[in-house]
Amino acid sequence: MKTKLLILLIALPLFVFAQNKVGKLHQTQALNCKTCHSCDIPTKENPCIKPCPRERLITIEQTPADAPAVFTIDKMKKTSDIYAPVVFSHRLHAEMADMGGGCRMCHHYNPPGEVVGCADCHELTRKRTDLSKPDLKGAYHQQCMNCHRQWSGKVECESCHAQNGSAKKTESKPKTDLAAKKVHQKINPPAIVKYDTPKANGKIVSFNHTDHVSTFSIDCEKCHSNESCNKCHAKYKPASLANRSVADKHVVCANCHNTKANCSDCHKNSAVGSFNHKARTGFDIAKNHAKLACNRCHVEKGKFAGLKSDCSICHGTWTKDNFKHVSTGLQLDEVHADFECSDCHQEKNYAIPTCKNCHEDKTYPKDKPGKMVKKSK
Amino acid sequence: MAKQSRRDFLKTYAIIGSAAAGLSSSTKAAPKNFLSEDRMAVLVDTTVCIGCRKCEWACKTAHNLATDPIETYEDRSVFKEQRRPTDKALTVVNEYPNTTSDKFPINVKVQCMHCDKPACVSACIVGAFTKNENGSVIWDGDKCIGCRYCMVACPFQIPAFEFEKALKPDIKKCDFCIERTSKDKLPACIEMCPVEAIIYGRREDLLKVAKDRIKNYPHRYVNRIFGEHEVGGTSWLYLSSRQFEEIAFPKLGNDPAPGVSEAIQHGIFAYFVPPVALYALLGGVMWLNKNKKNHESNTEN
Repeated sequence: MKTKLLILLIALPLFVFAQNKVGKLHQTQALNCKTCHSCDIPTKENPCIKPCPRERLITIEQTPADAPAVFTIDKMKKTSDIYAPVVFSHRLHAEMADMGGGCRMCHHYNPPGEVVGCADCHELTRKRTDLSKPDLKGAYHQQCMNCHRQWSGKVECESCHAQNGSAKKTESKPKTDLAAKKVHQKINPPAIVKYDTPKANGKIVSFNHTDHVSTFSIDCEKCHSNESCNKCHAKYKPASLANRSVADKHVVCANCHNTKANCSDCHKNSAVGSFNHKARTGFDIAKNHAKLACNRCHVEKGKFAGLKSDCSICHGTWTKDNFKHVSTGLQLDEVHADFECSDCHQEKNYAIPTCKNCHEDKTYPKDKPGKMVKKSK
Repeated sequence: MAKQSRRDFLKTYAIIGSAAAGLSSSTKAAPKNFLSEDRMAVLVDTTVCIGCRKCEWACKTAHNLATDPIETYEDRSVFKEQRRPTDKALTVVNEYPNTTSDKFPINVKVQCMHCDKPACVSACIVGAFTKNENGSVIWDGDKCIGCRYCMVACPFQIPAFEFEKALKPDIKKCDFCIERTSKDKLPACIEMCPVEAIIYGRREDLLKVAKDRIKNYPHRYVNRIFGEHEVGGTSWLYLSSRQFEEIAFPKLGNDPAPGVSEAIQHGIFAYFVPPVALYALLGGVMWLNKNKKNHESNTEN
């Protein structure tokens, strides 16, 4: 037993030492070890690093305005090169990326700290031991070509590079200025997109883009993530929806909607206008609740059905003392202001009061327990 | 010819035949196929290749083959037809439409696969082909007699014959840039590729890289590395978004090609079958002709 304790005592500081001795960079990163390492105690000999965690670990989002406007990609430049370095309009590309997934569309790995540039991870030399990620030249080209060949179909070197020794090369300074000034034209989103589906019952799906953006305040990225330029500029047009699998067709909608059930929620026999809470649910939100965000009432994320229209569900704490009746458009006179809510509003009917408890001969709305005023907001 | 009875004739040829058979069993000594654990390979990711054909230019330049200026390689009209490597172009890139998704077409670089168990080495009767420790399969012009058995044996139909010089046979195929790699340089195509769609490294390392890619991006790739097991494994390994047979890869089993070719070759030549069969046929023809002659002379009389 004693020896066991002794071994434990000797071993313990070793473990602690192993855990604490992490690199300088690691200390600044509020990261779980398991995010990058697959084993419990990584060592120098066996770091057990997981494959490059593309599109995870994103902690920095900058606006295109924060980004450098233009720079020349000349890190790999050699005198024997056939082509001249590319003048890269970074801000223009950042703006374009902003319409999709943001910075991470290119800066796919970003631990806490500064924005990591390509050359920080990708090696300059092609002859190397770590083959798990491309070298710098390969990384740049892969990143660029992924979009470029898709929207323009162009893979010609000279669509980005000038050839060394050619006349064009001399005007590289104006090209830099030009690239810095480029901006992407403003995109006008559609109001309603109407889809003709092959569904026999409920052929038409009206996707109301404006509703999703304004009424439901859904972030663009929620739907438009990892989209490349070719969403709009495609040389190779996306396969038409008709040729896709059922799951593929619904993939974006399925982010929020249960597309496996409730088909008729979206599939109608005629086009549908804007979202109308009253028509859809019977509860009119136009009068008093129009300005509220959906989640003020539909608290549980993603769950909208089942909320009762009873005011007390949300306004359970209202009493005659803290409810400003004037906000309904009716200012109670002094007598009526002293009553409990339920004296007039029986069975939680807050739309129409009853007068019968006190007045045999009076009815609402012919007779009013106060005076009508302009609705206060 | 001196008077020779039929019995003597058969006897002589039986001796020559068995001698030849003995010879063939000694050349049967198939290549030892010593496969180093550190043998090199290339991983081709066809989902990354953009079909710029700069590898074709680099290859020609490195092998002192005639080539047009590099700008002319931007011409994509060559993709209208499928090309094969020839004596004038040891590697070519082909293009296939991408029918399954909305993506750009698929480009596939074609060259010698540098098999782990190469059929050409096995088929070559003079030992002009060798499988090197670094994985390359190369050809020695001094030994070649121009029989072109290698062209027939190759499961990928790679070796090309240079016909122009009739007396100096010349088999041309990718040599894994053996001259460059022996000087610690990368193969010319690897060094050139702008997108690094082709990576040069230890075969074991590359298989790991390929498997990681399939694991990380299961939607991007079919779950198969062409060349990992095909014909006993090859040094050039391919990743693809479509089934390989759909992009003109040959449908091959996992058995090494020499196993098949040797079995046929040695099966045919075993037990002295071809000479016996040939002379039996000739004898039959002679016998038939003789009968016919007798018949004719009988009718004349």
